[in-house]
Amino acid sequence: MLTRLSGARIVDPAHGTQQDVRDLYVRDGRMVDRPRDGERIDRTWDAAGTIVMAGAIDLHTHIGGGKVNIARGLLPELGRQHSLAATDVCGACTIGPAPSTLATGYRYAAMGYTACFEPAMLPVNARQAHMEMGDTPIVDKGAYAMLGNDDFLLRLLADGANRAEIRDYVAWTLHATQAIGIKVVNAGGISAFKFNQRSLDVDEAHVHYGITPRTILRELARAVHDLGVPHPLHVHSSNLGVPGNVDSTLATIDAAEGLPIHLTHLQFHSYGTEGDRKFSSAAARIAEKVNASPNVSVDVGQILFGQTVTASGDSMLQCRNSRHGRPPKWVVMDIECDAGCGVVPFRYRDRDFVNALQWAIGLELFLMIRDPWRVFLTTDHPNGGPFTSYPHLIKLLMDRSFRNGVLASINPEAAAMSALGSLEREYSLHEIAIMTRAAPARILGLEDQGHLGPGAAANIVVYEPHPDPEVMFATPRWVFKDGELVAERGEVKTVICGAIHTVKPDFDRGIERKLKGWFEQHHTQSLSSFKIDDEEVCECGRAPRLAVHACRARTA
Amino acid sequence: MPLRGATCGFCGLLCDDLEVEVDGAALRVVRGACARSEAALAALGAVVDPVPRIAGKPASLDAALAATVEVLRAARRPVIGGLDVDVAGMRSVLALARRIGAVVDHAGGSIKYRNLHVLQEFGGITTTFAEARNRADLVLLVGDGWWRRFPRFVERILAPNGTERRIVTLSALDPATRLTLPKDADVLALDAPLTGMPAVCSMLNALVEERPVKPARLAGVTPQALQRCAEWLRAAQYGVIVWSAADLDWPHAELTVQAIARLVRTLNGTTRFAALPLAGSDADLTANAVQTWQSGVPLPASYANRSVDFDPNRYALRNVLARGEADALLWVSSLSGAAPPPVPGMPCVVLTRADVELDTAANVQIPVATPGIDAAGHLLRGDKVITLRLPRLREGGPPAVSTVLDLLLARLG
Ligand SMILES: [Zn+2]
Ligand SMILES: [Zn+2]
Ligand SMILES: [Zn+2]
Repeated sequence: MLTRLSGARIVDPAHGTQQDVRDLYVRDGRMVDRPRDGERIDRTWDAAGTIVMAGAIDLHTHIGGGKVNIARGLLPELGRQHSLAATDVCGACTIGPAPSTLATGYRYAAMGYTACFEPAMLPVNARQAHMEMGDTPIVDKGAYAMLGNDDFLLRLLADGANRAEIRDYVAWTLHATQAIGIKVVNAGGISAFKFNQRSLDVDEAHVHYGITPRTILRELARAVHDLGVPHPLHVHSSNLGVPGNVDSTLATIDAAEGLPIHLTHLQFHSYGTEGDRKFSSAAARIAEKVNASPNVSVDVGQILFGQTVTASGDSMLQCRNSRHGRPPKWVVMDIECDAGCGVVPFRYRDRDFVNALQWAIGLELFLMIRDPWRVFLTTDHPNGGPFTSYPHLIKLLMDRSFRNGVLASINPEAAAMSALGSLEREYSLHEIAIMTRAAPARILGLEDQGHLGPGAAANIVVYEPHPDPEVMFATPRWVFKDGELVAERGEVKTVICGAIHTVKPDFDRGIERKLKGWFEQHHTQSLSSFKIDDEEVCECGRAPRLAVHACRARTA
Repeated sequence: MPLRGATCGFCGLLCDDLEVEVDGAALRVVRGACARSEAALAALGAVVDPVPRIAGKPASLDAALAATVEVLRAARRPVIGGLDVDVAGMRSVLALARRIGAVVDHAGGSIKYRNLHVLQEFGGITTTFAEARNRADLVLLVGDGWWRRFPRFVERILAPNGTERRIVTLSALDPATRLTLPKDADVLALDAPLTGMPAVCSMLNALVEERPVKPARLAGVTPQALQRCAEWLRAAQYGVIVWSAADLDWPHAELTVQAIARLVRTLNGTTRFAALPLAGSDADLTANAVQTWQSGVPLPASYANRSVDFDPNRYALRNVLARGEADALLWVSSLSGAAPPPVPGMPCVVLTRADVELDTAANVQIPVATPGIDAAGHLLRGDKVITLRLPRLREGGPPAVSTVLDLLLARLG
């Protein structure tokens, strides 16, 4: 089956900057260069006058796993208010601040997203995370396994384990949980909270294990790098949301010692303590450091005004920030000698000084970090706001006068303290395509995603140009996933199941002997119950395909 | 005789260390047994070739499905109850509910709601089995039925290999359970009757918050004992409060759960404390979790009018039946062996565990596989974080819930 998409202007940054009008060809779900000699074209889509990009990729969105489900259960009154009626192809569901998995898949696809990555999969909760992602239709999925607060690793580090052992454990975790990357959340802090430590700075010792976050960060970044896992260690830094956390964020960058790291929801970690309220933007300092550190990539975690719910692995800081929560009900969990979580609803208000400045700080980061290949478009869904606000966020980046209009309407004290009004940069379509397509594919090691060259998955989004980028990006004319039309003008047309993306680096399975003993002594399930094999993950995740991406080990 | 590794799905602990001797259909737990697994395996092991029935008479699966389709096609306000099923089963239940516009509720819905209500009003600070097992230096036990409902809790979590920690019991322990505690365990027994739980819990709150209260004798507990308990709670480094909502069976029991949640939150101001509500039996957490992630709202829910809605009173199965708002009942049960509530005059289709014999003839009865026995299946454990795969133990046996419901869906078109 050969399909042609004709006459569109192609924006495909993975293959250069030229945006020429040309035809695209799809054979059996994959992009091809041109038809074979004499090959019949089965169908042509007339896309004259449109702008075409590859399917978008969200590399940090909380779409699966227990804490999102706790958020749903905590706020049923908000879910009820946002009911989505069934259609001929979609099931009835709701889209509250923590949307149902069904609504998540439908809306992402309708917006032109074809792959989403759950950034905080607790290893002990991996099965449920894969199940929730499996019930998130249409888009491809993958997840980062959380390490760095699990007693096994902290014990290894405290005992001065050698790097090979740490590397083997990291690789084993990737295999056992079917993950594509490793995330560390408040390194050591979630564990320290279980010992009643209420904060933990980068160079402060864990009260029980005696090791510092710096050590954990360095060793995990090293292990991920040495294993050749494409995605760098994904780091949720210390002191989430704490005024003055700029220092620990800069220290976190240094802790990587030049190895690749990805700093997530950077907005929540770019705060100073200047001004009467002892809360200020430190975006300029952070951006300067990021610009000067080619080993660092970031996503912003932009906040947008309105009701949302924050769901984080960071039990320590969520407990601390819970007093700001609205409505005032929240959940904190210590989890299975492995991790933790905290779920706190938030209502970000544009008239509130702190919220307004948070909003400005996020935009400052977007505009001050120069390289669009190293800064990604996220709201840390749902923590800063729902993913459905991405078109609005794109407009804020592309349209300076619109941005300044919003700036003029927020808390004036916050607006006055922000440099945002003086930032002239406007993102181009090309740059938006980099940060939402080409760059996330590259940083995750997804060879066949995020571009439209031959061999790529035929994930194609056809936009109608519009003077208002929010309109253009909200409802593409057509969205094709693996060559199939899945959405048209915001309406889902076909519901399919997406693949699961993983990595499986080589490692020495001897580590299992040690792990088996650990499980028998401390855990309440056996090692074999814990592990998820390929067949099981595809069943749980309803995946037609497990896409295993290559790792190039950097050690002998 | 072949020995097989097994996971027990008959309470929320999901113990995965069982060894079961499989002799034809007969099953015997030789390691990791509990009263619940022994009873269930004995019952299931005694059943040979269960068959579907129509109006009490044996029938083929094909005929039973055809009869079910007829019932569901004629129904305008169907309800689906039971729901002690695995994840795949629940996925199919929800697909069917969306297809026929049904109200769905778990058999233990009102029990589960005692905890859920407090979550939705207040939130909570909770912990999991391995945290409690490895970290707790004090465990406060509320209620008088957890040892029957979660038979291996002491062995696997409270006192594995004789681990010592302070234990406070609000209700008198039964002597057999008392014997399973380490010999010189530091136990403070308050021995209040169940009816005294609300008063004792709120008094403990007041004492821990250091409100100016004079502890009086409460529900038979001396003021000294209450004071001592509050001191122990405050002195704990990592305290855990354990209860099973099923024990708290009185009007407005959610107030007691709320008092516990408040106690935990207060204690967290200075030390670490967490709640560990024991649940997960009869797949109540599994059913609720799948419903919640797929639709965004928990059980009980209605899928009428092509949309989904949640309302803990309006859609509670017993309320729907009492108000006469249903015209057909589909009962889907694979673990508990529970029969549906009587619904005289209403068509009733029943999927049950293979050993269940109904008192009254349902229109259709279809035996289904029990997860972890005749089919593999996934269940969510009682501490809400871990989902385990229960491997299949023996060949043959009836089809899985998801298999039956998917056939039904295909026929409904
Ligand atoms: Zn995070
Ligand atoms: Zn996040
Ligand atoms: Zn058992």
